[in-house]
Amino acid sequence: MSELFKYDDEREAASAAKVRALEALLIEKGVLGSDSVDTVLGHFETVAGPFNGARIVARAWVDPAFKHLLIEDTPKAIATMDLPQGMDGAEGEHMAAVANGDGVHNLIICTLCSCYPWPVLGLPPYWYKDPVFRARGVREPRAVLREFGVPVAADTEVKVWDSSAQIRWFVVPERPAGSDGMSEEELAALVTPESMMGVALVPSPSSTSLVAG
Amino acid sequence: MFTRFEEYAASSMLGQPDSPPRLQGKFLFDKPWEREVFGVALSLSKAGYFEWEAFRQNLIESIAEWEDGYCAGQPRWDYYERFFLALKKTLVEAGLLSAAEIAAIDAAFVIANA
Repeated sequence: MSELFKYDDEREAASAAKVRALEALLIEKGVLGSDSVDTVLGHFETVAGPFNGARIVARAWVDPAFKHLLIEDTPKAIATMDLPQGMDGAEGEHMAAVANGDGVHNLIICTLCSCYPWPVLGLPPYWYKDPVFRARGVREPRAVLREFGVPVAADTEVKVWDSSAQIRWFVVPERPAGSDGMSEEELAALVTPESMMGVALVPSPSSTSLVAG
Repeated sequence: MFTRFEEYAASSMLGQPDSPPRLQGKFLFDKPWEREVFGVALSLSKAGYFEWEAFRQNLIESIAEWEDGYCAGQPRWDYYERFFLALKKTLVEAGLLSAAEIAAIDAAFVIANA
């Protein structure tokens, strides 16, 4: 191990110890509750339960005919699945899917307000409602993707779709490497709401990182 | 715009110089202490001990200080190191901890060969 790496390791250990000591002091003084850090972060770390969109994407990954129909006629494709009533946009909003693929990455925003395909994805994430995010999504989608930690190759075309009261777009992300042989149910567990808005890729099942939404 | 403090705090940093590292659309914490220090800043500001904007100004300043530094002997870039520095400054400004208390914490865990 080089001196540089050794230094970094020690710096890391020192930082961790200092943060622990600071936290302990703040708790001792009654400023910080002993569980308040977890409570506040829980807001970002709560994992979305099984959501309908994940099942739709997993079906598209294993069934090319379904995927074709999903892109051509999204409500019709969704209607073929055994999902609760209203998933096909029964309340007037028309759902439309776009697929990521070779050389194409799709990003969904709503410039006007925060129209979101909630029947398939649940409640929108906080950043989706942010006016700055909405404006930058149109003006500099690649910079937004970089900030969100999504590696998109320079020669990949980034398409931006603007949701509205009439059309709610969502993305069919690419099936990750290393997912061969997985069941539809297992595949669905890999899909995140972020990936269906285009601000994430679906990670390979073997990858692990400490992340919080 | 936002009804939750957590949402307001996180989105206020989007597209700004103090935007935290993210991976695949989510906050990226390389080490557990990074998550802790982020959580401490968020909870204390949520509890009203200091304005989130005041903390952010210190964070932007501490990031700028790193960027202005000389290359020789400069520690490698680490967002949460800058974050921790900014938090310590904010805690003193808010009167939650004294400069001496911060110094004592820092002195107790000096890097052995630094």
